[in-house]
Amino acid sequence: MTAVIEARNLSRWYGNVLGISDLNLEINQGITALLGPNGAGKSTFMKILTGQLKTNIGEARIFGEKVWNNRHIFRRLGFCPEDDAFYEDLSGFEFLAGLLSLYGFSHAECNQRARQALELVELTDVADRKVRSYSRGMRQRIKIAQAIAHDPEVLILDEPLNGLDPLSKRRIIKLIKEFKNSGKTIVVSSHILPEVEALTSEIILIHQGKIIARGDIYFIRDLIDTHPHMIRVKSPHFRQLAQTLAGEDYLLKIAFEPSEQAVVFETHDRDRFFNRLNEIVLTSSLVIDEITSPDDNLQAVFDYLVGK
Amino acid sequence: MSSIREKGYHHWEGQFLDKPRIFWPITRTGIKLAFGRKHFKLGYTFSFLPAMTYAVIVYISERLEDFKFIAQGGDKLLQVNPNFFKSYLTLDLLYFAILILMSIGGAGLLADDFRHKAVQLYFARPLTKADYLLGKAGVVIFFVGTLTLVPAILLYILKLLFAGSFAFFLEYPWLILSILAFSLFMILFFTAFILLASSLSNNRNYVISIIFGFYFFSEILRGIFFVIFRSPFSALFSIAANLKQVAAGFFQVKPPYDYPWYLSFLLISVFCFLSYLVVKHKVRGVEVIK
Amino acid sequence: MKPETQRVFSFYFFLKKKSPRSRMFFLLSSASILLALIIRFYRLAGQWTESGQIIFQNILMVFFLQFLIVILALFYGTSIVSEEVEGKTLPYLSSRPLSRASIIIGKYLSSLAVTSIMLISTLLISYFILNLDREFQLQDIWTVVRYALVLLLGLAAYLSFFTFLSTWLARPILLGLAFGFGWENVIQYFPGTTQKLSIVHYLKSLLPQYSSASGRLSFLFIRLEPTPDWLSVLILVLITVVFLVLAALLFSFKEYLIQD
Repeated sequence: MTAVIEARNLSRWYGNVLGISDLNLEINQGITALLGPNGAGKSTFMKILTGQLKTNIGEARIFGEKVWNNRHIFRRLGFCPEDDAFYEDLSGFEFLAGLLSLYGFSHAECNQRARQALELVELTDVADRKVRSYSRGMRQRIKIAQAIAHDPEVLILDEPLNGLDPLSKRRIIKLIKEFKNSGKTIVVSSHILPEVEALTSEIILIHQGKIIARGDIYFIRDLIDTHPHMIRVKSPHFRQLAQTLAGEDYLLKIAFEPSEQAVVFETHDRDRFFNRLNEIVLTSSLVIDEITSPDDNLQAVFDYLVGK
Repeated sequence: MSSIREKGYHHWEGQFLDKPRIFWPITRTGIKLAFGRKHFKLGYTFSFLPAMTYAVIVYISERLEDFKFIAQGGDKLLQVNPNFFKSYLTLDLLYFAILILMSIGGAGLLADDFRHKAVQLYFARPLTKADYLLGKAGVVIFFVGTLTLVPAILLYILKLLFAGSFAFFLEYPWLILSILAFSLFMILFFTAFILLASSLSNNRNYVISIIFGFYFFSEILRGIFFVIFRSPFSALFSIAANLKQVAAGFFQVKPPYDYPWYLSFLLISVFCFLSYLVVKHKVRGVEVIK
Repeated sequence: MKPETQRVFSFYFFLKKKSPRSRMFFLLSSASILLALIIRFYRLAGQWTESGQIIFQNILMVFFLQFLIVILALFYGTSIVSEEVEGKTLPYLSSRPLSRASIIIGKYLSSLAVTSIMLISTLLISYFILNLDREFQLQDIWTVVRYALVLLLGLAAYLSFFTFLSTWLARPILLGLAFGFGWENVIQYFPGTTQKLSIVHYLKSLLPQYSSASGRLSFLFIRLEPTPDWLSVLILVLITVVFLVLAALLFSFKEYLIQD
């Protein structure tokens, strides 16, 4: 059975800059997340899938058909771009209905679908306001609405949770999961691991235009857990704190920054470290000014994976 | 007041100095960006062709005997006098070159900031609106100045140098002031015009359409009203004609149109003032959504 | 019209109708009405004996022919692709079931429709302001229809050319300006076949040749060596079709990078 989305030897560069390199992958029904830092190639891949860019080498197919200049595919595909760009002179409703009219739906059907989409993203109350007056979160939601309004089988969502407040994020995540349950194929890109975790367990890690890992979210989490973490604590009692924690077996290294009154702990078990730290703060008179994790980000994981 | 703990940022422990030229970074960046635009450098270079031609005329004017064979009957044309400087500063080609350059490098001065919502970033700094506008105006002042005031002054100096004496200066002692005054007046007008056009839209294409549309529309109106009314006052509709009329006043030569030059001066001054009011109104730290 | 082109046309016609810029250009077009009123009052005051037809042809047509249709076509034509690329709204079009050619043609037709409305409405009003009097004859209606058709042809041709520029260049407006207000204004004063290298030559060839009784306005037709009507129409239609086809082809195969 052919996959819904296929990429074979996909390469694309911008002048001398490599966008994606020799990408081979198949995406089936369900939610697949493309995870990678900024500039990894996620948007480039999505732009190729949505017919905005040509490939230099290789090809991308959706439902077995080539994508570039093949307009028939786009009946079954919905795309939510990353850029915050709209036809600002239109109201939310007009924006949706207008874009729906490009599919050839009747006037009445366009209006009905637009209203349904607005209801799904909870923008019914502001449907008649101009898009230029929308907040950042509303603008993101109307973008998602235009991608889903025509009920596509495939959804390509480029950073769909950007700019959303936590409540809206939960609603959109719920919506995306409902689409998945109705048999759609969804490709979501993000550079924020917790967001992706909430959506799916199927992840493709992209870095510098290449796929460096593909698999289950728990596999990624384990990588993070086995990779030592650095936690920096700033405190007037930094030496006492270090002394108290020095005996813990999950600590690998302790480094002092006397000029900053800070101490950096390296551990392979963050959860146990933070639990212990909480205990110390609650039971002793030690004061903590600041806690930061210099490497608590995806970049650190990627660096680890690519062997830096 | 408790300090703000910022993750990953470093507080600068120094003192904020009261810088008098706070607009300068805006001007400097604007000039750099203009030069970075495609074809701008080429256009800018070619814009100096009229100045170079006039420099050659200054040279020939001092060597008329040597160039008699090509300058037959051209004595009048090759005279360097107030009319010579006035004619340089009112060349249609020069105005066209300024408009082209400002379309490439100046149309986006305010329009791009509106488009990318960058005005708020400016006013989140210790910057007043006057600083911001002066900074942007500085870009136009720089380019128009280097095409008008600087070459005109250089032509004047060249004349003195080639003449080898101060006779020219003694003959027209007020001329250098006229050059300065009219150039500054022209710079003021173009600054107001370009900033006004740029403030009217966040679409650079539209701004360029406004710049050229307004300029050519004014010429067409002048032509139409002249044909209808046969009156010299029809020149009041034209940007170029008004500048030429004012130039005649500054350089104390016969004006091209038969009406007082100060009418054109007043009209352009009112235009500059109104432009300033519009631009000041348009530039806001907070975007008002209607 | 193919359904796809029709869909694009409908959407963009609606969008342009709502656009504040269209209102501004409509206001600009209305300057002809103001001019017509001024001239009419001037004539009523007995200041001018030239007929309304001659005045309209030699004054207002200059405004329409050498300024308005050029600036309308320039702005709308050069924006066809650049507004989508600079505004980053191109993905909304390219991810719809629309052929790329239909996007260009649909947008072209919507721009033509909007600008035509601006042009024809102000043309008709200003013409009738100048000419609706005791001497008005039914055949004068044919004259204004002729003017309208000539201007529409010119608008279509200029718009098509600027649309092509828009698909070809990232910054088409400057070249468009150089062509519309530079080349077109200068070349028509050249003798012989050189003047045939401009769109405005064929438009002027199609206009009725009124001679000015007072001779005051004859300078406006200096050096025109008119091309036969049928040939002028053919060439204008050819220009329109050729550049539109080129634009559609170019847009179909070129990719447009949206700057982040």
